[in-house]
Amino acid sequence: MKNTTLAFAFVSPALLFLLAVLGWPLVQAAILSFQDVGVIGSEGHFIGLGNYATILGDAGFWRALGRSVVWVLSNALVQTLLALAAALILNQKFPGVRIARTWIILTWIVPTVVVVIIWRWLLSPSGGMINPLLIQAGVIERPVGFFATREGAMTTLIMINSWRWFPFTTLMMLAGLTRIPGDLYEAARIDGAGTFQRFKRITWPLLQPTLMVLGVVGTLLSFNVFDVIWLLTAGGPSGATQTLPVLIYETAFKGYRLSEAATISVLTSILLMGFAFLTTRAMTAAEADR
Amino acid sequence: MRRTFGQSLSLYGGVLVIALAIGLPFWWVLTGSIKLPKEIIQRVPTMVPHSFTLQHFEKLLQASDFPIYLFNSMVVALFSTAFTVLLALPAAYAFFRMEFPGRNALYKTILLAYAFPGVVVLIPLYGLFAKVGLIDSPVALVIVNVAFALPFSIWMMRSFLATVPREIEEAAIVDGAPTTTILVRILMPLIAPGIASVAIFAFISSWTEFLFASVLIVSDVRRTIPVGFAGIIGQYQIDWGLLLAGATAAIIPVVALFALVGRWFVAGLTDGAVK
Repeated sequence: MKNTTLAFAFVSPALLFLLAVLGWPLVQAAILSFQDVGVIGSEGHFIGLGNYATILGDAGFWRALGRSVVWVLSNALVQTLLALAAALILNQKFPGVRIARTWIILTWIVPTVVVVIIWRWLLSPSGGMINPLLIQAGVIERPVGFFATREGAMTTLIMINSWRWFPFTTLMMLAGLTRIPGDLYEAARIDGAGTFQRFKRITWPLLQPTLMVLGVVGTLLSFNVFDVIWLLTAGGPSGATQTLPVLIYETAFKGYRLSEAATISVLTSILLMGFAFLTTRAMTAAEADR
Repeated sequence: MRRTFGQSLSLYGGVLVIALAIGLPFWWVLTGSIKLPKEIIQRVPTMVPHSFTLQHFEKLLQASDFPIYLFNSMVVALFSTAFTVLLALPAAYAFFRMEFPGRNALYKTILLAYAFPGVVVLIPLYGLFAKVGLIDSPVALVIVNVAFALPFSIWMMRSFLATVPREIEEAAIVDGAPTTTILVRILMPLIAPGIASVAIFAFISSWTEFLFASVLIVSDVRRTIPVGFAGIIGQYQIDWGLLLAGATAAIIPVVALFALVGRWFVAGLTDGAVK
């Protein structure tokens, strides 16, 4: 339907709203990053690139960036494996499959704070379910504190976040799987291809576009995760789980260095938008090749 | 084709593992909320509760601020949902059914906003809300929730609009119906599942939002469940019974909503996913 005026009338409320609530603050963050504002509401002066020099010269920033990279990559790996397995199962026909496809997303629709309570309780050394189970299975001898060590805290957080998000990833992959024509599998079967061969030659290559989209969206989404980390470890022990979002939050609202936090925000945005831009371009190029 | 015994075994084994991985933690929380305190912290945990009590729920409803948080969360979530639907619907119609210059570029920019880090705009937004006096107001939360739910909601409408044959609109145009009438009278009933999906997504986003609610709301009586509840966690010596009852009470509304329209939501999520 061609009616440009009407189309703009339909789009502009949403568009203006997003510009005001997301676009304009981004500009404000950029302005703030060139000033020296400390506590919220106080006045600042223009100090040029001073904050950028401070942040880029701060080892804490680079460590947080490193943790974010570890966080994103580990989450991607764990969630992709879990989701692929779950999606392959839910792509079969069995009684109750419709219910399973709907309710698998349960972990994603409950508030994060509920997820936090669930796992704090289950992992708690006194009264939690997980420690006795692991002791019974002979994995450990006495109750362990899952958030006590640096590596333990990070690993546990990654597992909990993956538990929350892998059902979402599963549904996305399921969408990709249902798009693969059933005839291909039939033909392969007639040619005598086994289950593994069919997966390797048909499922895996045809799932690539889905996996690439998920790679981009998933990276951005898991990069942004803040509440699970904040509520479970608050970035600890001794900073071991302090990713960039946690660092921004702490710098602004615990350290009262607003301009520095804005600077980290701007650097983070540049990083993420650069990533999104480059990967979508690579994807478009890959599609053109096909 | 029939499955061999081994294939059936691995399929149902896999289904069981998924069901346990997702369901068991919720089962433990649900049953834990009705156990007596001494059974909750028992050294060897029980799978099926041996005791029954409603004392945790009584305490939650009478001695804690939970009912206030619940009410606040409801209000914020309902308004966020309504405004998200109001903004997303016409925008999605324009993006997927009309042609206008710059459509693709605008659509891509909006999609990018979906994965936008909230924490990045948190600081400047706090400043802007402070200037217009919206700190500590549920209005601020509604504004933020709508902004973050909107991009994904527009995208989700795509697959639902695609199911409506264009002939239906064209016939209405030939009959001389104005476009707004087409949208409201003819299209709306046909894409009701899509509207339901967008609504449920907006509701859940708002219901689970923590970051902005923790900064933009200052007084305890205005808090929503995620933040108010996080406060209860650290308040006293951990009272697991109370927390488990609270967790159960926070799960129930979204589960009830999902039981009604969850099927459509999942369809909306998966159908538009790969495009």
